[in-house]
Amino acid sequence: MKPDAQSATPLVQMDQIEKHFGGIRAVNDVSLDLYPGEVVGVLGHNGAGKSCLMRILSGAMIPNSGTIKVNGEVADIQSPHDARDLGIETIYQTLALADHLNAPANLFLGRELKTRFGNLDDSRMMAEAVRVLKRLNPNFKNLNDPVSSLSGGQRQVVAIARAIYFDVKILIMDEPTAALGPSETAMVGSLIRQLREEGIGILLVSHDMHDVFELCDRVIVMNKGRKVGSHRIEDVTKDDVLSLIIKGDLPHDWAPRSQKAVQ
Amino acid sequence: MADLDRGAEPASWTFKLSAGSFHKLSALLTLALLIFAFSFGNAAFFSINNGLTVLLQTSVIGLLGIGMTMVIITGGIDLSVGSVLALSGTITGLSIKAGVPVAPAMAIGVMAGAACGFVNGFVITKMRITPFVATLGMMLIARGVALQLTGAAPISRLGESFGLLGNGSLFRIVEKTGGIFPKVVFPGIPYPVILLAIVAVAGAYLLRRRQIGRHIYATGSNEEAARLSGVLVDRTKIFAYVLSGALAGLAGNVLMSRLVTVQPNEGVMYELDAIAAAVIGGASLMGGVGNISGTMIGAAIIGVLRNGLNMAGVSAFIQQIVIGIIVILAVYVDQIRNRR
Ligand SMILES: Nc1ncnc2c1ncn2[C@@H]1O[C@H](COP(=O)(O)OP(=O)(O)OP(=O)(O)O)[C@@H](O)[C@H]1O
Ligand SMILES: [Mg+2]
Repeated sequence: MKPDAQSATPLVQMDQIEKHFGGIRAVNDVSLDLYPGEVVGVLGHNGAGKSCLMRILSGAMIPNSGTIKVNGEVADIQSPHDARDLGIETIYQTLALADHLNAPANLFLGRELKTRFGNLDDSRMMAEAVRVLKRLNPNFKNLNDPVSSLSGGQRQVVAIARAIYFDVKILIMDEPTAALGPSETAMVGSLIRQLREEGIGILLVSHDMHDVFELCDRVIVMNKGRKVGSHRIEDVTKDDVLSLIIKGDLPHDWAPRSQKAVQ
Repeated sequence: MADLDRGAEPASWTFKLSAGSFHKLSALLTLALLIFAFSFGNAAFFSINNGLTVLLQTSVIGLLGIGMTMVIITGGIDLSVGSVLALSGTITGLSIKAGVPVAPAMAIGVMAGAACGFVNGFVITKMRITPFVATLGMMLIARGVALQLTGAAPISRLGESFGLLGNGSLFRIVEKTGGIFPKVVFPGIPYPVILLAIVAVAGAYLLRRRQIGRHIYATGSNEEAARLSGVLVDRTKIFAYVLSGALAGLAGNVLMSRLVTVQPNEGVMYELDAIAAAVIGGASLMGGVGNISGTMIGAAIIGVLRNGLNMAGVSAFIQQIVIGIIVILAVYVDQIRNRR
C-alpha cells in the first residue's frame, strides 16, 4: 500500500449493504472501503456472499439496503452501465461472455468502436484486441473464432482484457485466475501490481491464499453473508485467515502480527 | 476442446469452413438440386417467367422471414406475423376507404404492424411473458381485430393504384403487335421482388455493420452477459419485435395489393413458413445464430418447393409434408455438423 493511501478519500465506501433472497441473507450488513492504489482481498467459503457483494458494486445486483459512495459522493448504481460510468470495471466469476461472438466483439460489447458513419469499425476493434490480448497472453490466436471455441483460460483472458482496456479506476476481479495456467496467473499478478502503481483500487476475490498474501494490502473475510474480519495483510498469517474463513473467528490467542513483532 | 476435436480429424477437411458458411453452402446446394430436379421434370419450370413467379411468391415469406430472423437471433420467436400481416392490410384497406391516399394508407398499415410488434416487445420485456406465449396472444388478438373490423368480409374496389405495389414491375418490355394482346418480351422485375431485395440488404447491413445488430446477436447468445456488458437488452429485444411487426405489415400490404383486395383471413400459418425459412437458413431457436442471406435461401427453398410441386401436380397436403421433412432435415444436418 502506498504510504498516504489511508489519508486520501476512499475510492469506494460500501456501507451496511444487505441483500436477501427470500430467507437467505446472501449479504448481511457488510461495510467495506477501498483506497486508491490498494488491493483488497475478499475471502470466504463457497456461498459466503463474495460474488453478491461484488455484483452489487458493479451494478449487476440491486441491494435491499445500504449505501455506496464513490470518491466520497453517494453513487446510485442501478445498472452495469452506471457502474462503468463511474470507472468501475468487473471481471465476473461467470466471465459474462457472449459465446457466439468473437474475442474483439466481446471485448468491445456495449462500447463498440464506430466509423464516422456510425458503422461498426471491426478492423480497428480487431487491431486493438490483438494489442491488448497479446499483452496478456502472447500465444493468443484464433481471434476470429467465437469465444465458445476458446479454452477456459483464453476466455478468462478475454474477460480480463475487457476490464482493463477501458478507463478503469476501480477494478473488481471475481476469481480472475481460476482457469489460468501458471504463467498466465503470474501475468495477472504483475498486471495487478502495475494497476496498483497507477493508483487503481482493486477488489480481488480469490480462494488462493498464496496469491492473496502475495498481492493484497488488506483482506476482508466473509462468512455466511457477514463480514467477520478486515485486516492488513501484515497483521495476519494464512492460518489466521483460514480460521476466519472456516469458523468465522480468529484463533483465541490472536494478536496483530505486526504488533507482536514489536513486543 | 473444439481445437482438439478439429486437430484429431485428419486431412478430410483441409480447408476450414466456419459454421455459418457450411450451413449456407449446404442450403444453397439443396436449392440448386431442387431447381435441377424440377427443371428436369418440367421444362416450363426453368424459365424466366416461372423464375419471377417463384420470386414473387417468395417475397412475402422472405419479408416475414427477415423480421423473424432478427427475433430468433435474440432468442425469441414471433408467432403473430401471419395475423399482423392481415391486420395491417385491413388497416390499410380501411384507411383507403376512409379517403386516405394509397401511399400514406400503406404507411399507416405498416405502422399498425410496428405497433403490434411494440406491444409484443413490451409484454415480453416488461411483463416478463415468454415470447412464445406473448406472440401467441398477439396472433389471436390481431386476427380477431382484423376480422372484427371487417366483419370477416373482404374489402374490395380499392382502386387501381392499390394494386400497383403487388402487380407492377420494373423494366417491363412490351412489343406492340397488331393483335389485341401486346407481346411481352421481358415481364419485368416485380416490385415485391425489388422491395424484398432492398429490405434484405438493409437487414443484413443492420445485423452485420450496426451496433444494434451486434447487440441483437449478443442478447440471444447470452442475455445476462449482454446486460452486464452494458447492452440495453430490453430495448434491443423491443427493436427486433417492432421490426418484425413492421415487416409483417409491409408483407401484408404487398400480399393484399397483389390480390387488389383486402382479405382479413389471409396469412394463416404464414408464421410457420417464416420460421421454417429462418431455420432452414441456419438460424437457431436457441438464439445467437442466424443471418439474412441464409433466411433468403431458406425462403427460396420453400418457394421453389411449393412452385415445383404445384407444377408437378402434387397436392398441397403432400407439399406440407415435404416442407416439414425439409425443416427437420435442415436442423438435423446442422446438429450433426456441430457434434462432429
Ligand atoms: N440470484 C440468486 N438467487 C438466489 N440466491 C442467490 C442468488 N445469487 C446468490 N445467491 C445465494 O447467495 C449466497 C451467496 O452467493 P455468492 O455467489 O455471493 O457466493 P460466493 O461467496 O461468491 O461463493 P463462491 O466462492 O462459490 O463463488 C449463496 O447462498 C447463493 O445461493
Ligand atoms: Mg463467487
